[in-house]
Amino acid sequence: MSAWLEDFKSEFYLNFIKGDKWLWLVDGLKATLKIAFFAVILGIVIGVLVAVIRSSWDQNGKKLRGGAKFIMRILNFIAKTYLTVIRGTPVVVQLMIMYYVIFASSTNAILIATMAFGINSGAYVAEIFRSGIMSVDKGQFEAGRSLGFNYIQTMWYIVIPQALKNVLPALANEFITLLKETSVAGYVTITDLTRAGDLIRGKTFSAFMPLIAVALIYLVMVVILTWLVGILERKLRTSDH
Amino acid sequence: MTTDEILIKVEDLKMDFGPVKVLKGISTQIKKGEVLVIVGASGSGKSTFLRTLNLLEEPTGGHIFFEGVDITDEKIDINLHRQKMGTVFQQFNLFPHMSILYNMTLGPIKLLKKSKAEAEAEAMELLKRVGLADRAKAYPSQLSGGQKQRVAIVRALAMHPDVMLFDEPTSALDPEMVGEVLDVMKNLAKDGMTMVVVTHEMGFAREVADRVMFICDGVIGEEGTPQEFFASPKNPRLKDFLSKVL
Ligand SMILES: Nc1ncnc2c1ncn2[C@@H]1O[C@H](COP(=O)(O)OP(=O)(O)O)[C@@H](O)[C@H]1O
Ligand SMILES: [Mg+2]
Repeated sequence: MSAWLEDFKSEFYLNFIKGDKWLWLVDGLKATLKIAFFAVILGIVIGVLVAVIRSSWDQNGKKLRGGAKFIMRILNFIAKTYLTVIRGTPVVVQLMIMYYVIFASSTNAILIATMAFGINSGAYVAEIFRSGIMSVDKGQFEAGRSLGFNYIQTMWYIVIPQALKNVLPALANEFITLLKETSVAGYVTITDLTRAGDLIRGKTFSAFMPLIAVALIYLVMVVILTWLVGILERKLRTSDH
Repeated sequence: MTTDEILIKVEDLKMDFGPVKVLKGISTQIKKGEVLVIVGASGSGKSTFLRTLNLLEEPTGGHIFFEGVDITDEKIDINLHRQKMGTVFQQFNLFPHMSILYNMTLGPIKLLKKSKAEAEAEAMELLKRVGLADRAKAYPSQLSGGQKQRVAIVRALAMHPDVMLFDEPTSALDPEMVGEVLDVMKNLAKDGMTMVVVTHEMGFAREVADRVMFICDGVIGEEGTPQEFFASPKNPRLKDFLSKVL
């Protein structure tokens, strides 16, 4: 038993303390959080936009005329293509294409990764959000329009707040998924949390400690987020307004 | 209270849903201050007619002139005209994520550019008129059906509309709450509001309507003052309808 403890101690020292390698994990975590946080925001913006385009085409496309119809048809086509491509290819491939092909001339890997993950997440957020918009009673939209609000005002003041409330838990889960998916950022030279653990492993030739530490950090973050989502869900359920 | 001034003029209004012809050519005029009650069998197109009046449903044919403007003309801004047409729905359609007060002030603040204080003062005044001033801070889910519908009416009134459109405002209510909503509508009529009311409440039609219209087969089957309409109907379909509902 004490031999095992000694072993653990020296492994711990080797992997984290010696040469301040725990700081690698801290820096990696910072990169992971930075990418995840800004990607979430970008994902929401894209997702809401795409969801509004898709659902307004589905609900109102027939009624539009002339130029407005033409523009909406094109926007809807772009949105649909975006959803198909993004959801039909692996995120790590999208990330590498962004970094090595589209932005080959830039070296700001974190920025490019944030965009790649945000664009990826946007597709999933869009579908979540679209179902949220569809779940809002049609009478709400009509009440808004009959007061004299235009289409965008009605969506903004009346439909979207209710849609958002309906999908908050699903959105939160999407963000948890996104946080974990950023672990492939190492493919484009970023030292995120996962890559930091792997670097330690390469240096110390001991796999157990750094990889378990990385796993634990992800797990703690996900458990905390899940717990927050649970609180949120209960809050939403008790207050039905 | 009816005046000679024409507020809404409907010309040969037609509405198809695909192959289904719901309205087959309706022409009528609604005068300022007039209370027009529309009756008819379920599925006869009453809601469709009412919804085309403010273009919630875009008619497939004909014209609607509101205050002299052809609102079926694509070039006009329908949102501005809708501000002047209050609508009350069968299902209330209050905004569940907003307090009663905010339900009522959203339009005046965002569309009529009123200050929050002014909009709230006006809303409170309206709530007082329908006996709900103490519920201003409540949310729709905390109200009874009758209360919700009274709020829906004053929410529309807060926009200072020139006409109020009602689509079966009491049909979703428990029987004991119908009276409180009809009373609000009666007072509104007394104050001279122009009203178009789709309803199955024949008592209301008799008492309040200036004119009753029977829609059947997508056209106006018969219309007249409540006295003529109920005492001596001529259209056999109307006779049949009245024998069922009276
Ligand atoms: N959006 C729609 N699409 C297709 N059919 C519709 C639509 N709205 C109404 N209808 C049809 O039009 C007819 C008249 O409906 P409605 O105006 O609601 O009747 P009422 O209000 O008199 O009961 C019904 O047969 C209904 O099924
Ligand atoms: Mg109806």
